[in-house]
Amino acid sequence: MDNAIEVSGLTKYYGDLLAVDHISFEVRRGEIFGFLGPNGAGKTTTQRMLTTLLEPTEGRIIIHGHDLARDPYPVKRQMGLVPEESNVYTELTAWENLMFTAILYRVPRSERAARARELLETFGLWEKRDVKVENFSKGMRRRLSIAMAIIHKPTLLFLDEPTPGLDAQSARVIRDLIRRLNAEGTTIFLTTHQIEEANLLCDRVAIIDHGRIAAIDTPERLKAAFRRVQSVEVALEPDGQAHGPALEALPGVTTTVKMGDKWRLYTEDPSALLPRVVRYAEEHGLRVVSLNTLGPSLEDVFLEITGQQVGVVRHETEAGGGKQRGRGMRRRQ
Amino acid sequence: MKEGWLQRLQNEVAQAWAVAVKDVKVYYLRPGMIMFGFLMPFFMFFSFSVRREMAAAQGVARLLALTVFFTAAAAGPFIIPLERRLGTYDRLLAAPMSLLTLLLGKAAVGAFFAIGVSAVALIVGVVAFGAPIAHPGLLTAGLLVGSFSFSALGLIFGSIPTRNPGDVQMPSTLLRWGLLFISGVFIPLEEMAPAARAVAYLSPLTYAQDLMNHAVLGAGLLTPWLDLLVLLGSGLLFLLPAVLMHRRSRRLGY
Repeated sequence: MDNAIEVSGLTKYYGDLLAVDHISFEVRRGEIFGFLGPNGAGKTTTQRMLTTLLEPTEGRIIIHGHDLARDPYPVKRQMGLVPEESNVYTELTAWENLMFTAILYRVPRSERAARARELLETFGLWEKRDVKVENFSKGMRRRLSIAMAIIHKPTLLFLDEPTPGLDAQSARVIRDLIRRLNAEGTTIFLTTHQIEEANLLCDRVAIIDHGRIAAIDTPERLKAAFRRVQSVEVALEPDGQAHGPALEALPGVTTTVKMGDKWRLYTEDPSALLPRVVRYAEEHGLRVVSLNTLGPSLEDVFLEITGQQVGVVRHETEAGGGKQRGRGMRRRQ
Repeated sequence: MKEGWLQRLQNEVAQAWAVAVKDVKVYYLRPGMIMFGFLMPFFMFFSFSVRREMAAAQGVARLLALTVFFTAAAAGPFIIPLERRLGTYDRLLAAPMSLLTLLLGKAAVGAFFAIGVSAVALIVGVVAFGAPIAHPGLLTAGLLVGSFSFSALGLIFGSIPTRNPGDVQMPSTLLRWGLLFISGVFIPLEEMAPAARAVAYLSPLTYAQDLMNHAVLGAGLLTPWLDLLVLLGSGLLFLLPAVLMHRRSRRLGY
C-alpha cells in the first residue's frame, strides 16, 4: 500500500502527563483522513508531532518515505499546514502574506505572482489583495490562511479544525476546496471534532480518545459496526413531548433522546420496534405525525467509542445533571 | 528533486532575509518595540549624560553604543514570544528552513532596527552638534557587528519557552541593565579600578563602547580588532543557547 504517512508507537508525555499513548496508523496517499476526538483527546498534539512542531517522546513518523526525525527538510517542502487559529500577519496585506509564504516555501520567483493571484481569485479575496488583514473578517482570514498553506502546491495538507466559527457560506467554500484539492491529488489530514464534517469529507477516520486510537475505518464501516445504535424517530400529537418515559419503556428500546418535537428511540432492532410504536400511539389516541428508522450516525459511533452512551449524556444534560467523563491526559504510570 | 548544497544555501539566505524584512514591516510600530527598542537608549543616554560636561564626539560615541546595545537586544525578547502567542511562529518553524536560518533572520531584524536608530543618532550628532567621525569604516563595521551580537543576545531571551512577552522582558531587562552598569559606557575603562575593569571586560557592551570610541574619537583602550573579534565571537556564542532553548521549546510544545 502506498502510504503518505506511517505512524508507529507515537507517544507524547508532557512531564508526567501522557497526552498520546503509543498510537499507530497509516494515511494512504490521496485520501482525506479524518482525525476525530473530543477536546483534550490528543488530536492537536498528534498533528503537531506530524508537522515537526512538537518532538515526540517515543515512536516513529514516516512521511512520503522520509523519517521525520532524521530528514524533516524534504517533508516540510511537501506539506502545508492550516492550524486551528488563522495565523496570518494582520499588519500585512493579503498579497504580502502570500508573497512572504511563497518565499519561505521557495516557490520560483517567476511563478509567485501568478500563483498568488490564482489563489486570491479562488478564495474571493482578489479585490481585497492590498487591504491589511487586520480589516478582514474571520472567514476571510481563514481563507487566506488556507491559501498560504497551499501556495507551494503541497502533496500533503494538514488542516486543524478548518470550519468552526465560520458562517455557513465560508464553511462550504472551504469544504469544497478540500474536496477539490483532494481530487487534484493532495492527501488531506483533517483534524476535527465536527463529526458531520468528517462524515461528509473523509475517506477514512480515526477516532482518538484518551491519547489512544479507539477506532479507524471508513465512516460507513464504522456505522455498520454499531448496529446497536440504530434508532426509530417518531413525532406524536397531541402532547407528544409527554410520552418520552413511556416510549423508553417499550420492549427493545435502550435509550430515548428528545430531538425537537420528536423522540429518537435507540434500538438494536428497528423493524421490531416500529409496530410497537404504532400500537402505543393507537392505544393512547395519538396521531403519528412522522415515523422514520435511522441507521447509526457517525456521531452515534463517536459517542459510543468515546464512552459516552448515546443519548444518556444529552438526556441528563437537558435535565441539568450533565455527566462528563474525565478526559484527556493521564499521569505516567 | 534533491537540491545541491549551493541551492540550499541560497534558499536559506533568501528565507532568512524574508523573515527579517517581514518582521521589520510587522513590528516597527508596535508599542513594545518603540518603548524598549527605540526610546530606551535615548532615555538612558540623557539620564546619565545631561548636565555633565562632555564633548559632542564623546556623546555620539556613547549614544551609538547604547542604541546598538538596547535596540538590537530588544527585538528578540519582544517578537518571538508574541509570535508564539499569535501562532505565527508555528508558520516559521514548519517552513522548510533550518532553525539556524530562522534565528539568523530574527537576529537580522534586531540588527536592522539598531542600525536604523543608530543612523538617526549619528546624523543628529554630526549635523546638529558637529561631532567628527575619526574612522567611518570602523564605525560601519562596529555598527554591523555590534548590532548582530546584541541582537543574538536578545534571541536567548526570545527563545525562553513562553507565549507571553512579559515573562521575558523582566529577565531580559535585568541582564541588559546589569551589562550596562558593569561596562565602560558611563565610567571610562581607563578611570576604573583594576577589579572593576576586570568585571567590565565580562560585558560585551564594553567592547562596543571601546570600538565606538576608536571609530568616533579616534582613540580607545583596547585594540579595535579585539573589540570586533569579541563582539563577533560573543554573537555567535549567543546563538548556541538560543538553539538549545528552541529545541527545549519543541519538546515542551511551545
